[in-house]
Amino acid sequence: MIQAKSIRLASLLLAGVLAGAMDLPGPARAQEPANFNLAIQDHRFDPADLAVPAGVRFTITVKNLNPNAAEFESSDLDREKVVVGGGSITVFLGPLTPGSYEFFNDFDPVARGHIVAK
Amino acid sequence: MRLRGASVFFSASLVLILGHANKARADFEMHYPVIDYREFELEHNGSTSIDGRGAFNNNQSYTVELGYGVTPWWEPEIEFDMGAEPGQNWTYSATTFENTFQLTEQGEYWADLGFYAEYQRSAVRGQADQINFGPVAQKAWNDVLGSGLNTLHTVNLLFGKQVGEARNDATPVALSWQSRLRLDNLFQPGIEYYGNFNNIAGPTTMTDPTHRAGPVLVGFYNMYQYGKVKYELGYLVGLNNATERGTIRWRFEYEKSF
Repeated sequence: MIQAKSIRLASLLLAGVLAGAMDLPGPARAQEPANFNLAIQDHRFDPADLAVPAGVRFTITVKNLNPNAAEFESSDLDREKVVVGGGSITVFLGPLTPGSYEFFNDFDPVARGHIVAK
Repeated sequence: MRLRGASVFFSASLVLILGHANKARADFEMHYPVIDYREFELEHNGSTSIDGRGAFNNNQSYTVELGYGVTPWWEPEIEFDMGAEPGQNWTYSATTFENTFQLTEQGEYWADLGFYAEYQRSAVRGQADQINFGPVAQKAWNDVLGSGLNTLHTVNLLFGKQVGEARNDATPVALSWQSRLRLDNLFQPGIEYYGNFNNIAGPTTMTDPTHRAGPVLVGFYNMYQYGKVKYELGYLVGLNNATERGTIRWRFEYEKSF
């Protein structure tokens, strides 16, 4: 009996998480987040320092202008995503507290930059 | 588009799995819903129990896994399972084909959602094979209540079904939860819970459920072009009589992108 109750409770809990994940109510999604652009070319990011507003959700479109694959990675932001050569990806971020968050190309760690939330 | 592609692929995989198709699973392994595309991983999970009762002491489980992020939304892994029941010798218990599907883009929605499905081919004569599957979800909650603390919460809910001649009709469920503080790459303390419910779809005539909870340390070290090493180290306290008094669990992983 306790077991069945536990399962029901767990299922409800998970259903809540899933509903949230699928963003059913969606008030926070009513507005499209602002988008910022970042390019990877040769051994650098352009811009190397990207200013974003603090406290709001936003996206970054990362374009890889090199023929080889790159990986946008940030330990500070817990993101890691491959961009194929000549391709682009969208990274969903925020809200961030004011500060500087480092990112790098994991396939070419010389290429580094910062997202600066103000 | 991604959801539809992943769903079609998952359905096809499940059909394939059901077409064939158990074990002493690696009970203390948290699955995460974010795929590292084009990343190879070599992983080891292990656990051993500590209990004054002989029937519960030194229950050991070890796995070695190889995986690769084939697409941005699918990572298959092959797992080799070994272990020893209390007072018994080591045996090779199962070979498991694991699949993690990333269903939502990380950070796009309130939580990140994935789906996990595995097929365990038992290596023990007379023991049925088993499929385990279910949702995995993760929520990053940053700057908790204005404290500046970043946290990560993960939940897995996996349902099991035995297949083959030696199968039983039970539907076991494994619930696991982990919440941790992202203090530093190398040092992320947290708490976790692992529950195993032996049958939710019929009379409870089987063994009692097991509940374990305790502290865990998680971390990683990035060596950039040389890859990344990750670890998890936890101590789980048994919360009822059907569970070992204590269990040490660990996970070591090496990842390298290609």
